[in-house]
Amino acid sequence: MRRSDLGEFEEVVLLAVAALSPKAYSVVIAEELERETGNSVSTGAVHAALQRLEQKGYVSSFLGEATAERGGRRKRLFTVSALGGRILQDVRAVRNRLWERIDSHLLLDWQ
Amino acid sequence: MPGHGHPPKWITRFIEWLCAPHLREEVLGDLHERYELWCAQLGQAQAQHRYWREVLAYVRPSIIKRQPVIQRSVKFPNPTTTDMLRNYFKISFRTLGRHKLYTALNVAGLSLGITCFLLIGLYLFDELTFDQQHSRASRIYRAIQHKKTPTEELTIAASSYKVAEEAPKSIGEIENSARIVRTGRANLSNPENKNTFQETVTFGTPGVLKLFDFETIDGDGRSALNEPNSIIIVEELAQRLFNSTQVVGRTVDFEINKPLKITAVLKNHPRNSSFDFKAIVSEATISSDKDFAEWTASWDSQSFMTFFLLKEKASPEVAAKKITDLLKANAKLEAGSSISYTLQPLTDIHLFSDTITEGARNGNVEAMSQGSLLYIKIFAIVALFVLLIACINYMNLATARASNRSKEIGVRKANGAFRYHLINQFLTESLVVTTISFLLAVAIVNLLLPAFNEFTHKELSLGIHSDYRIWLYSLIALFATGLLSGSYPAFLLSSFSPLLLLKNLKLQNRGDLSLRKGLVVFQFTISVVMMIATIVLFQQVQFANNKNLGFNKKLLLVVDINSSKVRSGAETIKTEFSRIAGVKQVSATSRVPGEWKIIPTVQINTEGSSNEPKVAYWIGADENFARTFEVQLLKGRNFNGMSDSTSVILNEAAAKMLNIREVSGQRIGIPSRAMGGSYRPLNKDNQPFNARVIGIVKDFHFQSLREKIAPMVLAYQRNPVHNIDYFTARIEGKDIPATLAQMNDVLAKIDPTHLLEYHFLDEQLARFYAEDQRRETLLIWVALITIFIACLGLFGLATYAAEQRIKEIGVRKVLGAGVMNLTVLLSKDFLKLVLIANGIAFPVAWWATNEWLNDFAYHIQVEWWMFAVSGVLAVAIALATVSYQAIKAALVNPVRSLRSE
Repeated sequence: MRRSDLGEFEEVVLLAVAALSPKAYSVVIAEELERETGNSVSTGAVHAALQRLEQKGYVSSFLGEATAERGGRRKRLFTVSALGGRILQDVRAVRNRLWERIDSHLLLDWQ
Repeated sequence: MPGHGHPPKWITRFIEWLCAPHLREEVLGDLHERYELWCAQLGQAQAQHRYWREVLAYVRPSIIKRQPVIQRSVKFPNPTTTDMLRNYFKISFRTLGRHKLYTALNVAGLSLGITCFLLIGLYLFDELTFDQQHSRASRIYRAIQHKKTPTEELTIAASSYKVAEEAPKSIGEIENSARIVRTGRANLSNPENKNTFQETVTFGTPGVLKLFDFETIDGDGRSALNEPNSIIIVEELAQRLFNSTQVVGRTVDFEINKPLKITAVLKNHPRNSSFDFKAIVSEATISSDKDFAEWTASWDSQSFMTFFLLKEKASPEVAAKKITDLLKANAKLEAGSSISYTLQPLTDIHLFSDTITEGARNGNVEAMSQGSLLYIKIFAIVALFVLLIACINYMNLATARASNRSKEIGVRKANGAFRYHLINQFLTESLVVTTISFLLAVAIVNLLLPAFNEFTHKELSLGIHSDYRIWLYSLIALFATGLLSGSYPAFLLSSFSPLLLLKNLKLQNRGDLSLRKGLVVFQFTISVVMMIATIVLFQQVQFANNKNLGFNKKLLLVVDINSSKVRSGAETIKTEFSRIAGVKQVSATSRVPGEWKIIPTVQINTEGSSNEPKVAYWIGADENFARTFEVQLLKGRNFNGMSDSTSVILNEAAAKMLNIREVSGQRIGIPSRAMGGSYRPLNKDNQPFNARVIGIVKDFHFQSLREKIAPMVLAYQRNPVHNIDYFTARIEGKDIPATLAQMNDVLAKIDPTHLLEYHFLDEQLARFYAEDQRRETLLIWVALITIFIACLGLFGLATYAAEQRIKEIGVRKVLGAGVMNLTVLLSKDFLKLVLIANGIAFPVAWWATNEWLNDFAYHIQVEWWMFAVSGVLAVAIALATVSYQAIKAALVNPVRSLRSE
C-alpha cells in the first residue's frame, strides 16, 4: 500500500462526498458532518478540504444549477474520482485488517 | 427560504472583497444558503451569530489567493467603458466646434497662462537644481567655519589646511576631501603666439576631480591635478589661447610661476553650476612656497574652501561635530573665542548662502553667483497666480453659458445619466481644452525661449531632451489645470434637477452669479497689484540710476592695474594719461566708488581712546581723487603729495563715528585690517598705523543704494593697508576708442605684457540694479499677460450678458432708451467689479511694495499717483473691453430681437 497523504478531516469529507453523491456540495457536506459527529462544522473548512482533495485528484467538480436559497448563485458539485475511490478502499482495508487482529476479549471490554 | 432577513451586509461585503473573484460565486452562495438554513432551524439571532464564525472560517490563504491576472485579461479584453469615453470626447469636440468664439477665448487665455507658467517654471527648475549634475552631489558638503571672538562673529565658507587635511584621515564618516583657494588674478599665455589672458587663479587638490564630475574633452579627468606644475582649463579658455580644444600636453606660461603643463581640458561649466573657474592649477605647484608653509601649519585659519565627500548614509551633523572636536583637540585658541564647523550640502550653496561669507579668495576675485530664495518664492507665486487666473476664466465662461446647455443636461438626465456621467463629460471637455492650450503653449515657449534665455542668462530648453522631471511637473500642472478649471462647472451644472432644466430652460442662480463676480474681482485684484508693483519697481530703478551719488559718475573710465610694473610706474602713467587729448583728470586709487570687488575694512580708533576700535572702509587715493570724482571736500585740505603718506581724509559718517567735528590733525590709529573674514594686525610686530586727520569729505555712495553710507577712510595712495589698483580718468565724451588706444600705448610702454582692462563706472553702477531691472521687465510682461487674460474673460462675460439681456434691451429701446443709456446699463455691473478689485488691490500692493523698498537704504516713497494710474488704467481697459459688446448690443434693431416670440 502506498503512503497515504489523506488527513483525517479530508478522509471524512471524502467519505461524505461518496455518501452524498451525486448531490455533494459544501453546505450539505457540512450539515451532514455536523449531524454525524455532533460538532459544528463550518463550510469554510469543508470548502478548503475539498479544494485540497481536488488538487490531489481524489475528487472532481463542476458548477451546478442556481437556486433561490443561494441568492441565485450556482453551487459547485463534487464527485469522487477513480483514484479517490481506490484510496478510500485502501484506507478502509488497512483499518479492517487491524480491526480483525484485535483480541475479541478486548473488544468485549470496550463495550 | 428567502424572507428571513439578510445577514449583516458589511460582513458580506467584507468576504466579497476578501475572496478571490473566481471563488466568489460559490463561496457567497454557500454562505447565503447556510444562513437561510440556520434561520429556519435556529432563528435569526442564532443564525447571525453563527454567520460570523462561518465567514471567519473563510479567512484562509486558499480562498484569498487570486488567480494569475492573465486569465482575467483574457476574460475582459477591453475596458467596458470605452463607449462612454468615446462619447465624451465626441461631444466635447462638437461643443467646442459649435461655440468658436468661446473656445478661442478659452484657448487663448489658457495657453497664455500656461506659457507664462512654463517659462517661469523652467527658470525656477534651473535655479532649484543647481549643482546637481555631480553624481555624488548628495554626499558632498562644504565646510563652514563659525568663529566667535569677543568682538566679532563670523560664518565663513572656509577651513584651515590642517582641518582639510586631517579630517578625512581621522574621521570615519568622511571618505574624501577637496579644497580650492583663489589667490587672485594672473596672466596665462600661449608661449608660441603670446595670446595672453588675465584669469582668476584657482589652486586645487587632486580631490577636486575625484569628488566632482567635471566632464572632460581631452585628458584624464581624475588624475590631472596630481602632479606639480599642471593645469586644467575649460574648453572656452583653450579656444581663446590655442584655437583648439585638443591641447593636453602643451604648456602655458604663467605669470607668477614656472610654465604649466595642460593635463586636461574640461567642458564649459553648465549654467546651473556654482563653479565658474576657467582654470585650476594643481596645489602641488605651490606647496613648496614660503607662503604656503604658513598655511599648512594652521588649524584655525580660513585659507581654503573645503569640500568633504561623506560615506553613504553618514550623518553630516555627526561628521561636523567630529571636525569641531578634532579642531578643539589640536588648535590653541585665544581666550574667549571659539570655532566650530558645520557642513553645508553642495546643492544648498546656490540658494542658502545668504548669511555665509565666501572665504578663501583674494579681494579681487569675484564671488560665486548666488540665487535669491525670496525672488524664487515670489516668482513661483506669480506663476501660480497667472495659471489660476486662466483657470478662473474658463470657470467663468463655462458657468455663464450653463443655461445654453441646460437642455442638453436635462435630456441627458432624463435619459438616465447619473451625476458622475455629467461630471465626467464636463471634465473631459475642460481637459480637451487644456490639452490643446498646453500643446500651443509648448510651441509658444519654444519660440520665446531664445529671447528668454538671453534675458535671464540661462540655457533653458523645453524639448524631448529636457529633464524628465520637467515633463512630469508639466503634466501634473496640465491635469491640475484641467481638473481645477473643469471642476466647478462640472459639479455645478450636474447638480440641477432635470425637471427644472427642461421646464424653465433658464437658470436663475444667484449664488452662482456672485461667485462669478468674485472670480472677476480676484482676477482684477491680481492684475492691479502687479501693475502697481511694476510702476514702483520701475521708479526705484530709475531713482537708483539717477540719484546724486555724491560724485559725478558720468564719463569716468576705470583702468585696472594688472602688473607690478604698471603699479610702480603709476606716477609716470598718470602724467602720460593726462596729456592725452580726451582725458581731463586722472586719479590712482585702490578701490573706486561703485566698486565691484571687495572694499577692504579696517579697525580704527582715535589715539588715547580706550573704546573698542570701530570698523571703517578703506580706500587709498591720491591728491587728484576729489577733483576727478568731483567729491566735495567739506573741511580741512586735500592731500599734497608724498609728505601726506601718514594723513587720512574721513567721510562724514566716519567723522561722526569718531566724534570729530573740526579738523585739527587729530591722531588716529589703525591696529588691524580684515583678512579672510577676521581682523589681523597690519604687520608682524603688531605696530598700528598712526595717521593724522587732515580733511573731511561729503558723504558719497561708494556702495549700492541698498547699503547705508558707511564710515570710510581715504588714505594716501602709499599706505600699509591697500595698494593702488586702478587709474580713473575723467574723459570727454567724444572719440572714446581713440582715447582708449592711446591709453593702451602708454601702458604698453611701461609693461609690454600688460592687458588693458577697463570699465565705465556708470555701467558698473547700473550692474548693481541689473537684477532689479530684469525683474521689472519680467513683472511688466506678467502684468500685461494677467490683465490680458482677465480681459478675455471679461469680454466673454460681457458678450454673454448682452446675449442674455437682448430682449430687455429691445424693450428699453422701444420705450425710448438711447445708445448711451444702454451702454452705461450694460457696463455698469462690470465696472463695479473692477472698482471693488481696486479697493482690495491698493492696500495689498501698498504693503508688498513697502516691504520690497525697505530692502534699500535709499528708496523712493510709494505715492498716491502710482495707485491712481494703475486703477484708472484697469478701469479703462475693462471699460474698453465691455463697452464694445455693450455698444454692439445697444445698436441692434429692436425689431430683430423682439420679433421671435
